[in-house]
Amino acid sequence: MVPMLMGIAPFGIVCGVSALTAGASVWETLAMSLIIFSGAAQIAATQLIADGAPLAVIVLTCFVLSLRFLMYSAALAPHLRSLDSRWRNVLAFLLTDQAFAATIRRFRESKDLRGNVSYFLGSGALLWITWAVTTVVGRLLGSVIPASWELDFVVPLCFIALLAPLLRDRVSVVVFAVAAIAVVGLDALPMRLSLICAGLIAIVCGVVAERLRSGTRRG
Amino acid sequence: MDKSLVLWAVTLAVGALNFASRLSFIAWFSRNEMPPLLARALHHVPVAMLTAIAVPAVVFIAPATLDLSWRNPRLIAALMAAALAWWRRSTVLTMAVGMSTLWLTRWLLG
Repeated sequence: MVPMLMGIAPFGIVCGVSALTAGASVWETLAMSLIIFSGAAQIAATQLIADGAPLAVIVLTCFVLSLRFLMYSAALAPHLRSLDSRWRNVLAFLLTDQAFAATIRRFRESKDLRGNVSYFLGSGALLWITWAVTTVVGRLLGSVIPASWELDFVVPLCFIALLAPLLRDRVSVVVFAVAAIAVVGLDALPMRLSLICAGLIAIVCGVVAERLRSGTRRG
Repeated sequence: MDKSLVLWAVTLAVGALNFASRLSFIAWFSRNEMPPLLARALHHVPVAMLTAIAVPAVVFIAPATLDLSWRNPRLIAALMAAALAWWRRSTVLTMAVGMSTLWLTRWLLG
């Protein structure tokens, strides 16, 4: 648990720095972290706000990002069926990449629902608080550090740190290459639509590439 | 629209959508299996979206000004960081090396 909290701290700070580039106050940064509670979505949103993208495009881009929660939700659902709906709501709210990684193995290996749910609740709440605090720290740091240090570059660096370890199979490399070329090629699209268009094209290419691969293996 | 208003609207709308995605199978479709095609597509969401967000911040040195040469310090720093992250998987180390490389190349290129 402690290494995981240490792991999200730099991400939280980066997210706070990104909030500053969108002109968010400390309170607005705190509200974003408490309500959205997703680093990738908060960073995408604040970057798009800084670029002056319209509300609909920002919300749509963040929506595609949030679709990965469907995977986590589906993986956890069978284990939470017997829980009453109030607790399911609370656990769903606390469902993040980190909380999922920390709890899914426990749910698969142990039938102790009470113990597993308490563990999920405890780690989720700790992550939520740590997230809120570190984003505020990042927002404050961002306003103290001079612009010439280019602290905003920690935002793409943080994404690179999350992204690079995922590129371990050929299909993921295809998805990466298509997304990179498409987002540059489509840069001229209005309203920063390039992000979401490139993302969707890459996802479709990934599905096709996977199908072609499994097709050649079978044939 | 006022920036603060946009921020709050985004916070509430994205917060609601995130919660809905998180709730989806846990609460609403708990009796349903996820369609296999959807599962396969969702598997690619992180790589596709992280790339689409990170790449422009590295290769565009100004709005609509692409620089893919070795004289772009952000590109050099990003490549160093990516190699390290692929090899070591450490967020803190990746950011530290990326920022140091950026400052060093800026200083070297004058």
